[in-house]
Amino acid sequence: MPKDHADLEQMIAAAARFLPPQGPIDAFVAQNPLQGFEDLPFDEAVVRAARLYNAQPFLPESDYRTHLATGRIRVADLEAVLARDLDGRAGEPLAGGRITRAQLQRQLLLHGVQLESDTAVRWTLTESDAIERLRDDLEPLVRGHLLETDAVEAIADGRATRTAEPDERVASELWHACVEATSVSRAAVVHLPPPVRHRDLILAIAPTLDTDALVHPLLIRMVAAYLDQGVASWPMPDRDRGLLAAVAGVYSGRLGPVAPWSHPLPTRLRAVRDAFDRGGEAQVIALETIAAELLHLGLPESARQEFITQSIVALRGWASMVRQLEDRPDRAPVEAVPARIIDFLALRLILDRTATEWAAGRLGSGRGGTHPPGVELGRLWTELRDRYPPRRGPGSLSRAFLIHQVSQLVGLSASDIRSLDENDILGFEREIATFDAIARRRLFHLAYERRHRVEVLDALAVHRRTLPPPPAARPRCQAVFCIDDRCESFRRALEELSPDIETFGTAGFFAVPMYFHGIDDWHAVPLCPIVIRPNHTVTEVPEADAVADHRFRKAVRRSIGKLRGEVFEGSRSLLRGGILTSVGGALAAVPLVARVAFPWLTSRITRRAAELTSRRIPTRLDLKRAGDQRLANGTQAGFDLDEMAAIVRRLLEDIGLTAGFSRIVAVVGHGSTSLNNPHESAYDCGACGGGRGGPNARAFVLMANDPAVRTALAAAGLTIPADVVFVGGMQDTCTSGITWFDTERIPESHRAAVDSLRSLCREAGRLDAQERCRRFDSVPLEVSPAEAVRRVQGRSADLAQVRPEYGHAGNAVCVVGRRRLTSGLFLDRRAFLVSYDPTADVDGLILERTLAAVGPVCGGINLAYLFSRVDPLGYGAGTKLPHNITGLIGVMDGHASDLRTGLPFQGVDIHEPVRLLMVVEAPPERIRAVLDRLPGVKNLVVRQWIQFVSWDPESGDLAIQEPVDGELAFTPFIAESESIPVATSSAAWYRGHRGNRPPARLLASVPAAPQGAASS
Amino acid sequence: MTPPRPFDDPLSVLVIYQLVAPVVALASIGLPALLGRPLSERTTTRVVGAAFTTSFVAALVTLVMIINRGFAAHVVHLGSMFAVGHHAATIELVADGLSVPYVCFSTGLCALVNAFAGKYLHREPGFTRFFILLALFGTGMNLMVLAGSIDALFAGWEFLGISSALLIGFFHERRNAVDAAMRAFCTYRVCDVGLLAASVVIHQATGSGDFATLFAGTWPEATCLVPGTTALTVSLLLIFAALGKSGQVPFSGWLPRAMEGPTPSSAIFYGALSIHAGAYVLLRCESVLDAAPAAAWLLVAIGGGTALHAAIVGSVQTDLKSMLAYASMTQAGIILAEIGLGLRVVPLVHVISHAILRSLQILRSPSAMHDRHELAAALGGHPGSSDWSLVRLLPRGVGRSLYHIALERGFEEAVVTRLVVLPLMAMLKAADGLERRWTTLLGGGSTEGRMRHDSSGGMP
Repeated sequence: MPKDHADLEQMIAAAARFLPPQGPIDAFVAQNPLQGFEDLPFDEAVVRAARLYNAQPFLPESDYRTHLATGRIRVADLEAVLARDLDGRAGEPLAGGRITRAQLQRQLLLHGVQLESDTAVRWTLTESDAIERLRDDLEPLVRGHLLETDAVEAIADGRATRTAEPDERVASELWHACVEATSVSRAAVVHLPPPVRHRDLILAIAPTLDTDALVHPLLIRMVAAYLDQGVASWPMPDRDRGLLAAVAGVYSGRLGPVAPWSHPLPTRLRAVRDAFDRGGEAQVIALETIAAELLHLGLPESARQEFITQSIVALRGWASMVRQLEDRPDRAPVEAVPARIIDFLALRLILDRTATEWAAGRLGSGRGGTHPPGVELGRLWTELRDRYPPRRGPGSLSRAFLIHQVSQLVGLSASDIRSLDENDILGFEREIATFDAIARRRLFHLAYERRHRVEVLDALAVHRRTLPPPPAARPRCQAVFCIDDRCESFRRALEELSPDIETFGTAGFFAVPMYFHGIDDWHAVPLCPIVIRPNHTVTEVPEADAVADHRFRKAVRRSIGKLRGEVFEGSRSLLRGGILTSVGGALAAVPLVARVAFPWLTSRITRRAAELTSRRIPTRLDLKRAGDQRLANGTQAGFDLDEMAAIVRRLLEDIGLTAGFSRIVAVVGHGSTSLNNPHESAYDCGACGGGRGGPNARAFVLMANDPAVRTALAAAGLTIPADVVFVGGMQDTCTSGITWFDTERIPESHRAAVDSLRSLCREAGRLDAQERCRRFDSVPLEVSPAEAVRRVQGRSADLAQVRPEYGHAGNAVCVVGRRRLTSGLFLDRRAFLVSYDPTADVDGLILERTLAAVGPVCGGINLAYLFSRVDPLGYGAGTKLPHNITGLIGVMDGHASDLRTGLPFQGVDIHEPVRLLMVVEAPPERIRAVLDRLPGVKNLVVRQWIQFVSWDPESGDLAIQEPVDGELAFTPFIAESESIPVATSSAAWYRGHRGNRPPARLLASVPAAPQGAASS
Repeated sequence: MTPPRPFDDPLSVLVIYQLVAPVVALASIGLPALLGRPLSERTTTRVVGAAFTTSFVAALVTLVMIINRGFAAHVVHLGSMFAVGHHAATIELVADGLSVPYVCFSTGLCALVNAFAGKYLHREPGFTRFFILLALFGTGMNLMVLAGSIDALFAGWEFLGISSALLIGFFHERRNAVDAAMRAFCTYRVCDVGLLAASVVIHQATGSGDFATLFAGTWPEATCLVPGTTALTVSLLLIFAALGKSGQVPFSGWLPRAMEGPTPSSAIFYGALSIHAGAYVLLRCESVLDAAPAAAWLLVAIGGGTALHAAIVGSVQTDLKSMLAYASMTQAGIILAEIGLGLRVVPLVHVISHAILRSLQILRSPSAMHDRHELAAALGGHPGSSDWSLVRLLPRGVGRSLYHIALERGFEEAVVTRLVVLPLMAMLKAADGLERRWTTLLGGGSTEGRMRHDSSGGMP
């Protein structure tokens, strides 16, 4: 059956696409959890994905209504998105031509009327006066219309007596009309497509028989044991043979009673084990097992793809880890095991079938023995699908009540309703039903994004018109940061403190893709975007005069490490543990009390102690290579001259810094340090694949300062003046501090300038810390910059702190263009800022490579946060509190859950889930040409996973990408406001506020005393 | 000996304060929450923190005073619930060489956990609930430890049980958490029968629940006052009670599942306090155990067996918290074995020392990645699995089978389900059916209708 297996392989590959793209947690890279759906438009994809993953496509409707009430969404936004969404269908007549579709949907959006159950309506009828009064929230015009119609009719009928309140009479008259209207017809019965998995079919008729509840704990135990990277001291036997073989080997023994459902399991696994023992090929055995199990499960050919997809996705955290380790064994934290998704599926299906048979037996015994154990599951499958309960249509009471409420909103009176025939009423009802919660939430979401988009684009447009002329003088200093949204506040602070500093933003691996082996690391880690596999390895080595020192220290460290390892290992073992815990355990009281009760003090003491005892050994990077020096991992040891020159050239061209160099150019990567945080690497640099960008900055600086590189660059037409010195550093986004590299190499002539830059950065770090602290509920709003630094340092070293920093929470904007256009604009740490000079890139080559990197990286981060916030349980990792590190590859909730993918709720609770608003400073034609060369990015843009805006460098016109028939198309943006808020300084604008702050123009880009900016 | 009246000497006041402080904290955060106006996060942690910290200080002062008296027991008589002839159920507290150090460490740990949780649970929906349960836990703990009679001890024991179960089920919207809480609760209840029965036997034998009538002398050199058979019965019942709370074979299944709650609560109940409650009760009644050597040897066997079981099972656990749970279980087993061997001060020191180390390990368990990488960096590679090289010497099949048993946690759950849970449920069902039939018969109703109702209510 080789052909059969090819089909099967294809199906499995297609199914695996829907697994969340998350690898081991020690290199957490924020990516779109809906990658498998990227070939669909965003708003269609989220709905489809929500169905597959049993998740939420948008925020709850109540959240959007709160935003509507607070003004975060305006009625005008709703009207605008509604008009655009309905387009030609807006004016279609409903209810016999009395109202239009647009009218109906607008009212339903604004007032949130929905179908209630009969019971709920009965309660409302008896407990409230809902049918005896008109709604309070009617628009005056509509109310007037209803009352007027009533008055006219009353006169016509000759019953113009003032016995009852007109309000009351209108409402109850309408109610009677609605009851009459719904009594003659029956609402359509909604048939839901039956599920394809036996588990769901059985669950639908026997809610306590959940076969997944039987299978998952066992499957989790098996897969966790297989993938474990070193938590267990006794690893699973035969792991090198693959998951299926290893599990079959362990679980096919004849020992021990097992749970009643799993009795046939050892026999079945024995058959698999025997196949392996006969020397079968792992791939073939797995595929044959899958094919056999599918036959046993009795699935028709047509349902197989869907069945496989859903079976894989049912435990998607673990399945995705298997797939990731299969795909990228080089990213395994400790040792790569031969993980294969087909093994996982084969195992899962064996367990599924066993559990299903058992459940079918129980189902049978409860239902008069139609299904004796050993029943053909295929027959069961067909029968259960036929019996799958259709959803009953709503009762007449709830229909009448719904029409009653909606009629009021759109101004249909009792006589209007009475004049409609049965089909009109059914049509009207269908119209309301199709505009269901998902449709409303979708429009709300669009309106929610629209308000933000308009606010930002208005600000950009206004700010551009008020720009000062570019300074003619040589800047005092230039500083290159990562594009990270967290660097925005730091750059802004730096510019506010010293307007003659020019800052740039570029992907934080600084065009140096490499494996880096730090002096204290045990192996080399990749530092570059996740899509790149580096071809170079750079090693950090001690300086020649420190080699002996280094060796000594390494030995000391090794002994201390050994001791710590012994203590930890020992504390869990039997005999050593007894002695250790009883004799030495009490010593743990010291760190316990210190760490928990006095975290800040402890962190300071340990840092001081570390500074005193282990003065950093002077090191250098083994960067330069001559000729071919291939290492064991297949990469080159370091870079040769041409490669270095190309890297420097590429970066400088990217950011548009090819002339007008200042004497000092700082290059600053970033990373984040926090304790007790399994998701620590989620706060590191996304452009470094969840690593820290410091080594990249350091390597880049060494290249750019290298005279040979400069000569080569000059020969190629890029002249860096001899008096330009590059300095490298790394910013810790958790403590807001910067560590500088190789400062002893800075020539005497530049020392003073570098020192002054460093003190400026310290000051900027304080402001940055203060701005970040406003987001933390536990820090008072009036905290001073100096105190704020203490606070953020304390958070970084506190075991109990689940919010050491907020990561990318809030990210919403990405500006690709000249910093000059956004400098002096308060963007609230919510914008990725990518430096790009459109005037030096007519052919769009630079834009092409910039978008190729920035589009997926920023889009991925944005979508990861968006989905984790929209559904913290379905897409996010849920609350951190019960997280339990498993196998050193991920976290579970408690003792046996699926691996949690996505971001923890504590990292996204303040996030506003809007799609990335990417503003690119280039005319639409150039963008079009560039995107045609980048199909992947173009797909994200056209399918609207990114809100894409063109910003003309000449005219400053903004144009929004809104696809027409699935093709790229730009519509001019029409400004809504001609002015934006103005503030004297960033601090003046954010102080006293916890929530998001709108963009504001800052007047403080004039030099101010360092404290002045903060204590206003 | 007539116990001194409360409040007439500073020592009594101090002892009473240790019990009252968590109660006051419980009331002052519980009542506003009950009225729908919970205190702010900051105030909540401050109130609970103040209660535990002051009670810790009070316990320290008491310790010094007790040491000055040469560890002689100080009994505080709080009153009696009822007294009929020779029978009396009294409420007494006792401060001696066992209870006071124990209170010091339990209140100290609770205070630390409180400080930790105040930050850890920031903005969590169940914030107030957590601290209410923590205060309840502390109340139960102090009552159990300071109890001078089996009745007071039982009350404290029960508070401890219910608050532990509720903390395990803290995330009650998750099925796993509720199942785990239910399992822990059921295990506790089954084993609580032992303590309850022990208390009945003690009352029967001595006419009172006071420990003073059960044994006399200074801990740990007290002498048992009841005859050998009674001592044996009481000992066996107490051991049975201790099995559940201390997670001993065959009732250890709840412990690894108990990590469904937030990390700080895990630290106190399966790392430090709750798991050692059984050991405490046995230490309290050590003289009775001395008088029943057979029971003591049984304890050694159970403790040793548990330690071995947990050490093997623990070695294949792949998640941090299960691994730590089994590590705790190993030590809890060793501690019980130590008690069975007649040691007294050693197990007390072992309990306190182990609890502190384990709490630290659990509280910093989310740092595992960090620690592992640091360790790997220091050693120049990840530590191998050298510990189990002995296993590799076994024949392949035996090794795999042993691994299978370990991964399936010794099939303990399956065995207990088959031998205990299912028969118990069948018995309860039968009793239920019998009762229904009787009531219907006596009530003169029709049997048919009742029968049908009965059969439809079966458990899966």
